[in-house]
Amino acid sequence: MFDARGRVNTVDHGMEDRNLAARAARGEAPAFSRLIHKHSDLVYRVSLRMLGANDAPDASQEAWVRAWRNIGSFRGESAFSTWMYRITMNTCLNTRRKESRRKEQEVPEEFTQLPEPSGGGSSPEASALDGERREEIFEALRSVRSEHRAAVFLRHLEGLKYQEIAEILDVPIGTAKGWVHRGQAELLVLLSEGGGEDQ
Amino acid sequence: MRGLSEEQRWTVLEKIGAYAAGDLEGEEAREAESLILKSEDHQRLAESYARLLATLSMLGQESPAAPEAVVSYAIRRAYVASFLRQAEQFTRGLVEDYLGALALYLNLRPARQSGP
Repeated sequence: MFDARGRVNTVDHGMEDRNLAARAARGEAPAFSRLIHKHSDLVYRVSLRMLGANDAPDASQEAWVRAWRNIGSFRGESAFSTWMYRITMNTCLNTRRKESRRKEQEVPEEFTQLPEPSGGGSSPEASALDGERREEIFEALRSVRSEHRAAVFLRHLEGLKYQEIAEILDVPIGTAKGWVHRGQAELLVLLSEGGGEDQ
Repeated sequence: MRGLSEEQRWTVLEKIGAYAAGDLEGEEAREAESLILKSEDHQRLAESYARLLATLSMLGQESPAAPEAVVSYAIRRAYVASFLRQAEQFTRGLVEDYLGALALYLNLRPARQSGP
């Protein structure tokens, strides 16, 4: 189902996953273990992008604990990966809600243009992002309001369709679109502020 | 974006972003195009969005693998939880059987009638 990025866990193994989940719901740990092996990269990637390297391991483990507790509620109506996206995203969003409320973003009247990606070359695809720039982007992304960040992450980093994003975040498609657009606007403002300091 | 209120600035920012992401069609797309064409500031915004979205897409190609410790911990937890669940079921069954036998022994359970 989720083949936008061509990752291993994006190949549709729907039937196999459903069988494994049904066995896991009956208490078969080896079946659940197989699901963990198949989807652990997805869970870790979401946690890492949403929370950062310090919190990602704990969030991943928490997501799997929740999945095991609730595996009986997985009916197979959506792909297992969609279900895991939802559980992991909720785990990450709950982690962030515990933090203090962030300051509201303001759009500057005069906008500083986002600099060319470092690494040379006019095409972004051709230029490799250095570690500092990559961290700057993820740091800015983590400062975006959590629901908007989740939507931007699923759309632009995971490459999911709006319908899938709406399903994972449990909101109407229009809301998912609105969150993506607002989130990418917040991200642009944050990055342009950061870039402006260097110039 | 001078002279615009905070809310209007967000609206412009979101509209140009939605256009840059290819999410607008028909009349909405034409509106965004004219918005971009009428101001250099808006053109710079559209360029910045294009760079941002390309960069995010590039970052999305990276696929960090889950550390082995995370995977093995999750598996261990599942095995322990499974064992505890089975132990609980076994103990509950044992206690129920024992209580049933005790009730029978003490004649607390009404005798079954045989035949109609």
